[in-house]
Amino acid sequence: MKAYFIRRLLLVIPTFLGITVMVFAVTRFVPGGPVERMIAEARSQQAGMASADQDQPLSQGQIDALNAYYGFDKPILQSYGLWLGKVMRGDLGTSTRYYDPVIDMIFDRLPISLYFGLISLVLVYGVCIPLGVAKAVRHNSRFDNVSSFLVFTGYAIPGWVIGVLLLLLFAARWEFFPLGGFVGDFYEELDTWGRVKDVVWHTVLPVISYMAGSFAVMTMLMKNTLMDNLAADYMRTAVAKGLPFRRAVFHHALRNSLIPLATSFGNNLSLILTGSFLIEKVFNIDGMGLLGYESVVERDYPVVLGVLVISSLLFLIGNIVSDLCVALTDPRVTFS
Amino acid sequence: MICMNPLTARKLRRFRSIRRGYISALILAALLILAVSAELFVNSRALVVAYGGRLYFPTYGAMVPGTTFDLDYAYETNYRQLKKKVDADGTGWVILPPIPWNPLETDLKDDDYPPFAPSWTGGHLLGTDTVGRDILARLIYGFRTAIFFSLGLLAVTYGVGIGLGCLMGYIGGRFDLFFQRLIEIWSNVPFLYVVIIIASVMTPGFWTLIFLMALFSWMGMTWVMRTMTYREREREYVLAARAMGASRRRIIFHHILPNILSVVVTYAPFSVSGGIVALTSLDYLGFGLAPPAPSWGELLNQGWANMDAWWIAGSVIAAMTLVLTTVTFVGEAVREAFDPKMYTYYE
Repeated sequence: MKAYFIRRLLLVIPTFLGITVMVFAVTRFVPGGPVERMIAEARSQQAGMASADQDQPLSQGQIDALNAYYGFDKPILQSYGLWLGKVMRGDLGTSTRYYDPVIDMIFDRLPISLYFGLISLVLVYGVCIPLGVAKAVRHNSRFDNVSSFLVFTGYAIPGWVIGVLLLLLFAARWEFFPLGGFVGDFYEELDTWGRVKDVVWHTVLPVISYMAGSFAVMTMLMKNTLMDNLAADYMRTAVAKGLPFRRAVFHHALRNSLIPLATSFGNNLSLILTGSFLIEKVFNIDGMGLLGYESVVERDYPVVLGVLVISSLLFLIGNIVSDLCVALTDPRVTFS
Repeated sequence: MICMNPLTARKLRRFRSIRRGYISALILAALLILAVSAELFVNSRALVVAYGGRLYFPTYGAMVPGTTFDLDYAYETNYRQLKKKVDADGTGWVILPPIPWNPLETDLKDDDYPPFAPSWTGGHLLGTDTVGRDILARLIYGFRTAIFFSLGLLAVTYGVGIGLGCLMGYIGGRFDLFFQRLIEIWSNVPFLYVVIIIASVMTPGFWTLIFLMALFSWMGMTWVMRTMTYREREREYVLAARAMGASRRRIIFHHILPNILSVVVTYAPFSVSGGIVALTSLDYLGFGLAPPAPSWGELLNQGWANMDAWWIAGSVIAAMTLVLTTVTFVGEAVREAFDPKMYTYYE
């Protein structure tokens, strides 16, 4: 088992290299990189001042200096090596758009994604486990069928589309909730209690959309595994011995049914850490996801690569944590 | 390959007995027919024109210039105006499709700016989008794009998955180990983000986008097929076939594959809905098919940006809900029919 986790940890390295090499190479061959954009900006500034001469606004020397600054003057492998060396030292470069260090930009946004992710994680487990238990115990009742229908409808539609629907209904039509963002316009002027209310106000709709994604999977997983366990021999024995059904469910079957839920914990973890850029875009939440999306739109490649580095690392670690959870909860699992 | 042996017949019977799934399958089939023959229902071209003693069927084929109907222009005939004209002077008749708009034409009014709200009299049953294109037309053609995209993606990923998966499971050894590692690495790529980065660079077309998506989604099916083949390989009938000197290809295609193909069927509906969602997400973010291709994601983005025009987002979400829930219900029913779970209950 130790060997298994060491192997998993070692596999992080080639995975990480593979992802970054691929994206690094792609960003190299793009027109409209930072240097081209600066030339365009300089041109538009000149056009405002002087006659519309179509000459190159920057001298060749300036362009070379810019290319050298961004590492475009070297062959791709060499500049990848340089970049990787900097990443190892914790330096993700500077945004070509805002001229801020990428690492600071990411760590500014990370807590916001974390906030939404954690709340939805707690709520998903808090709601899905009881719901799944109730559905399993009352299998094929009207309650089970109606809730199954709702759960599957929620499962079929992606969370961010539910988000658009929620915005349409509760923000644009009836104006119960704000249209997006993390805090309101007058956040600075509020007292502590007002600020808490303001944040909660902005949290409700995004959290519902975050939950929509894993809600159905978790509920049905809980229900199905519990039903498998309810049909197991040890349950028959327990009931035959005279244990009340309720006690048999909660003390015998439920504990065994929680194992598969632990498996999905790691996947949820990486979603929490990096957020979903679709949901963050829909609700205009300034988290990691939106940062990554906007940097792609603006061709701000240091940020694109930085977000990729951080999110894939978190994703890889999340998967390993997921396996650890399984190993910790299920003594039968050996991972050989 | 799937002939009606008693087992398949029983599965089919079981599928039909699951009402929710069966009805969903019927709805989906109707929608597919509508999508394939969309030109007959949603089109700016007339179905039939009778003019000057001749019948014209302009739906398919080359465009018919206005001069054919003695109009004063040589570009494509505007059949809605033609209908008004011939109805007024009685020189012939025109049958228009139920929705007389095509998904690309803009309908502008002199006294107002789009988007126009849904109305019977205005002719746009679900209103228009922000540049004045009919939403219903764009929804139906967008569905066609989405479903064919998703089926194409399914064909590619399942083709790779079945082929590679069977080989991995059957050959085993180092070949298997190599691809196992590759899959392990590949499935850790933050898929949507990388696709967006690549798509932002190259503005993909329909097939490039399928290829790009398939590049990151072939692993699931491959893994399933590998496990199934691995299990089947140890069965006696494979041993018997091998003892009789059957080639590797024959064993895989004639013996193993028909036995594990039913698994593929149970996965397919979920892959279809996954493909539709993926394309819509990419289009919503602006990295999918190039405009002006009709697409749900692009409409959803318009609706999201113009919340006051509630009919835009509202109709896309309604359409998505209809299609995705029916696909999911079909998937659930197929799974249930292929693998019925029998439980014991305690009261």
